[in-house]
Amino acid sequence: MKLTRRSLLKGVAAAGAAGAAGAVYRRAEARAKKQPPPDAVAMLFDSTRCIGCRACMEKCKEANDLPPDRVRLDGVPYDAPIDLSGTTKTVIKLYQGSGKTAFMKAQCLHCVDPACVSACMLGALNKREYGVVTYQKNKCVGCRYCQIACAFNVPRFEWNSPAPQIVKCEMCHHRFPEGKGPACAEVCPREAIQFGKLKELRAEAQKRIQDNPWRYHPDVFGDTEVGGTQVLYLSAVPFDKLGLPKVGDEPVPAMGETIQHGIYKGFIAPIALYAVTAYVVVRNVRRGEAEEQEEAARKPGEGEERKP
Amino acid sequence: MSDVARPLGGRIFTPGFVVLLALAGVSGVLILVRVFGGVGSITAMTDGYPWGIWKPLNVVTFTGVAAGAYGIGLLCYVLNRGKYHPLVRPAVLVGALGYSLAGFSVLVDLGRWWNAWKLGEFWYFNLNSVLLEVAICVLTYVGVLWVEVTPAILESWQSSRSSRLRRVAAKGLPFMKKAFPFIIALAILLPTMHQSSLGSLYLVAIYKLHPLWLTPLLPLLFLLSCLTMGYGGVIIMDTLLAVAYPTYRRDVKLSASVSKVAAAMLWVYVAIRVADLAWHSRLGLLFTSGWKSFFFWLEIALFVIPALLLGNPHRRRDPGILFRAALLTVMGGSLYRFDTYLVGYDPGPGWSYFPSVNELLVSIGLASAGIAVFVFAAKKFPILSAGPAHGVRKPAQSTP
Repeated sequence: MKLTRRSLLKGVAAAGAAGAAGAVYRRAEARAKKQPPPDAVAMLFDSTRCIGCRACMEKCKEANDLPPDRVRLDGVPYDAPIDLSGTTKTVIKLYQGSGKTAFMKAQCLHCVDPACVSACMLGALNKREYGVVTYQKNKCVGCRYCQIACAFNVPRFEWNSPAPQIVKCEMCHHRFPEGKGPACAEVCPREAIQFGKLKELRAEAQKRIQDNPWRYHPDVFGDTEVGGTQVLYLSAVPFDKLGLPKVGDEPVPAMGETIQHGIYKGFIAPIALYAVTAYVVVRNVRRGEAEEQEEAARKPGEGEERKP
Repeated sequence: MSDVARPLGGRIFTPGFVVLLALAGVSGVLILVRVFGGVGSITAMTDGYPWGIWKPLNVVTFTGVAAGAYGIGLLCYVLNRGKYHPLVRPAVLVGALGYSLAGFSVLVDLGRWWNAWKLGEFWYFNLNSVLLEVAICVLTYVGVLWVEVTPAILESWQSSRSSRLRRVAAKGLPFMKKAFPFIIALAILLPTMHQSSLGSLYLVAIYKLHPLWLTPLLPLLFLLSCLTMGYGGVIIMDTLLAVAYPTYRRDVKLSASVSKVAAAMLWVYVAIRVADLAWHSRLGLLFTSGWKSFFFWLEIALFVIPALLLGNPHRRRDPGILFRAALLTVMGGSLYRFDTYLVGYDPGPGWSYFPSVNELLVSIGLASAGIAVFVFAAKKFPILSAGPAHGVRKPAQSTP
């Protein structure tokens, strides 16, 4: 009897070890690198061209029907957002330091391999036409895991609404059918924001750096960062000064997805665990019943009051 | 063996019970405010800390303590240690209540809660989403736990005055007995999956979670911590029941054996945790990360101290030491989970978070509701191993 139990336990342990070994082995497997779609669109923000007029912010609110972020100064309400929020999809921020000033346009970067899309349970956030990361409120339960996942803290939540939505830049994709691009790019007086094809804007960014190397930081943020983004940044100062986090080239969801898909590959491990557990429990229950019958036979009358 | 489960009996509306109901009522009012005013109307959550304290406390800590059902189930049914049987029913009831409260708390926390039914629309499933796996698994497990509770209810119906209830019991109990192994297998599989995934959730926060907590072993460490917390929770429950209800038949030796398993798990956790930090060459962070280092030390101390206390057979048979060690064990697991979800989580400069009073009141109210239902059920249904009580005509025939 003892031997059987021991062998069963060994079986369970072996199955567990095999599963773990498999998971570790698969972790080593590289996750396929995601590519932007061939027709991917993009935005290029050139910080050195921006003069901070904030016309883009105003136009964004108009194009996306967003209410103002009211700040009261001297009794007068102004629309003066200082950060992204449930009512603001883009913000111009100013960096001043070490003798240089630089403007930054905060907005969704439309990652090629977005963490929010990986996190979203029902695909409310998804990469749709032209690789734009868009939001569908009817598939959103409001769990806010996208906010945990995004390395750039882009998705915002309508905290004081009984029917809240996730708010983020969707590149004005609702204007695409009219043949229009993002409102901010359209209104920018200095062409600091440009909208176009990803391939062309990547080349354009490189060209600007090559033509005026003294003017720019040598890197284009978004070329390789977090697996590439469809919003590219050019700047005179290091990008972390603009509030962009220091990130590597690996896509943000890569580690989590690799580990989870390793453990759950083909759903084999869960099915095996279920089958082994059910088998062991059936054996144990039967053995318990057999023992009880033996005992009942030995001591007639007493067995009935005992619990099986 | 005298592990016959019986209702504890006794008056329901004691002063303590009324206080619990009042606290639950307060959270009910706050939840109403939240329904009309949005999540921000009663919480201090921000876009930087979008999960506030409800996820780490109501979901991740409640279900950790509720994992006693999982831990005792593993011992009793998979490892076939029949002696733990008297603890199965109370642990399962605590599990069912803890998980139901966690589920309800998530519903309160969901911004678009009325869309939650769409989690049944499997053709929309994003199989990359760790949270989806957690959600589906937890929802299913809540159902499984309540199915596990039904034999206790059916048994009480065996002696019911209503002939219809007696018939339901007569039909239901044999069916439950047959289905039992397959239900237990689910009750083992599902927590293994979602408790580990509660850790995997933060694998995506690679730039926000502090390296003292960010590791590919998050799922394993969360699985281990749910076992330590679950065993600790069972011992605490056992102690409190013995103190509160003289009719409850307590077997201190049994709790002591549970604590031995808990101690082993605590050591396994500590070994893996430290080895993992060493493997990633992060031991230096133990001294250089300011108050985050402090929280790490506090956390690891709350694993090591109970493990030391419970490692000694004489000490763990002392009910006082056993109880204190169990409290420390639950605190350690909870702190590890809080550290991952809040202390070690940093969305970047400019963000800060401290829970609002209302946010805490909702958590306290939910916990109170859970305790109230447990007390009610233990008094009315055969959950606990107890001395004879009023209202039971004959010893109930019990199923596993």
